Amino acid sequence: MQSGNLGVHPTEDVMVSQQESEQAITVQRLVKRYGDFVAVNDVSFSIQHGEIFGIIGPNGAGKTTAVECISGLRTPDSGSISIQGLSPLKDRNKIREFLGVQLQESSMPPRLKVGEAVKLFASFYPNPMDPDCLLETLGIEKVKNSTYRRLSGGQKQRLSIALALVGNPKIAILDELTTGLDPEARRETWALIESARDRGVTVILVTHFMDEAERLCDRLALINHGKLVVLDAPEAIAAHAGGSRVRFVPSKPVDDRTLYAIPGVKEIERKVAYVTVIGTGDLAASVIDSLARIGVHVSDIEARGGNLDDAFVKLTKDDASRVQERLQS
Amino acid sequence: MTSNRGDSRHGRFQGHFAELLKVEGKLALREPTGLAMGIGFPIILLVVFGLIGKAVPGNVAGTGLTVLDIYVPIIMVVGFISLGISSLPVTLVRYREMGWLRRVSTTPTPPSRLLAAQLTLNLVLALVTILIVIFGSELVFGAALEVSIPYFVLSTVLSIAVIFSLGLVVAALAPSQTVASGLSGGLFFLLLLLSGLWIQPAIVGEPLATIMYYSPSGAPVRALLYSVFNATPPLTAIVTMLVYAPIFTFIAIRYFRWG
Repeated sequence: MQSGNLGVHPTEDVMVSQQESEQAITVQRLVKRYGDFVAVNDVSFSIQHGEIFGIIGPNGAGKTTAVECISGLRTPDSGSISIQGLSPLKDRNKIREFLGVQLQESSMPPRLKVGEAVKLFASFYPNPMDPDCLLETLGIEKVKNSTYRRLSGGQKQRLSIALALVGNPKIAILDELTTGLDPEARRETWALIESARDRGVTVILVTHFMDEAERLCDRLALINHGKLVVLDAPEAIAAHAGGSRVRFVPSKPVDDRTLYAIPGVKEIERKVAYVTVIGTGDLAASVIDSLARIGVHVSDIEARGGNLDDAFVKLTKDDASRVQERLQS
Repeated sequence: MTSNRGDSRHGRFQGHFAELLKVEGKLALREPTGLAMGIGFPIILLVVFGLIGKAVPGNVAGTGLTVLDIYVPIIMVVGFISLGISSLPVTLVRYREMGWLRRVSTTPTPPSRLLAAQLTLNLVLALVTILIVIFGSELVFGAALEVSIPYFVLSTVLSIAVIFSLGLVVAALAPSQTVASGLSGGLFFLLLLLSGLWIQPAIVGEPLATIMYYSPSGAPVRALLYSVFNATPPLTAIVTMLVYAPIFTFIAIRYFRWG
């Protein structure tokens, strides 16, 4: 239908097929527009077998569109996607046998029973899991005979995961997995994802919860305004872009120029008597040293390392080029 | 689909289609408004016109037919309209709106199978309606039908094709369940009027009579009326249906969206 658009240069084709043994999914220069709006803009990444790959980003960043292209639900405007060497559009029938998809905000017929839904979806696949075993693993065997409309949010979410996993997929795409769940249900859901990974399932997790991304994902792709901002392990992103923070009360007022002169200080925030500096390196030590040299003592000192939340806020605030510079330096 | 595993795929097709049909059947029983409309409404009409037919002895307007005789094809078509216009499109649009069609489309089973299961279910219900109306009018109310099997089968198949494909047009064009309900509700009463449920084409005069004869519900009624009294259906009624069915089917396929 649109194979013309998907073609890449022959040399790249060869490269892709050589990588395929290690990569579960390869996305190259993916572009998807809705009219004038570019939802996904030149995004490339590859996902290894058996990893939990997170896609994070603010609302409307293009995360869902990207995974919908991967699952073959949308046709990309350009770029190429390879799932174990297959094309999501041309080989959709083959891919659907080993790709499980959990969609954001999709619901089910209100009077469909849990057991019926799982059994129905099991009948769609060539080598399904045993529906009863799956329900037990997911902890919803007790509501097997309940209709969908009677389920709690957590039970609905677990049923949704059950439908994504019942076909025994090699790859599972889970979009906004724990949105609307209480903390306990979220933790249980996380354990499920980890157990799927331990069985060798490659997982793509779309989320806007940083704690979830930090806890589950081996690597994260941060997408903002349709562009890939950064792709790395969660710890690396946090350390790189998050920066450490030191909060203290100086014994007498210190102006911004003095603070910026301290090695490693990148940003300053003030709140009442408190001063917070954000930066890199051994920040607390250099703040104390530098200020002591000009006769300022600090008290009430509190230091913490950068976390993914800080990194997320920072990276989504900046435009992509500035972030690139920072990461290169 | 042309794989060397054709046989196993075929077997799996039957497996998942049977499962889909079973689930759709159960859902229909749990939410029986569709069933009540599709089968209950024709039964009520059959009882009403059966009793009127008994109270008012035969020969309406010199046709040699009783009131019930005239209403047998109308009640059948009303049954098809209830199923094909009221029930089918609203269910399909609801499935689309809740993301169920999309959800199914992520599996190896294409969502068209879900549509096929819905169609099959409604066809079975239409068959039940036909049997109830024909045997009910003959056995309970003593109608003297002379069903011509070939003509009856032809007229029935075309009637259902026209009305169900029109229902699929609603399913294809309605962007939401609310719009689908409104459209199918309006169409329901329009088609009931044109079928002759409230007033006969012979009485209303022109141009309404002609409009009724050539309408998607009037033409089926006309063809069926001749078929249940062992007469050749008017060619115009058959041709009218042969024109509507492919046009509606084309529009439905052209504009149907799965997600």
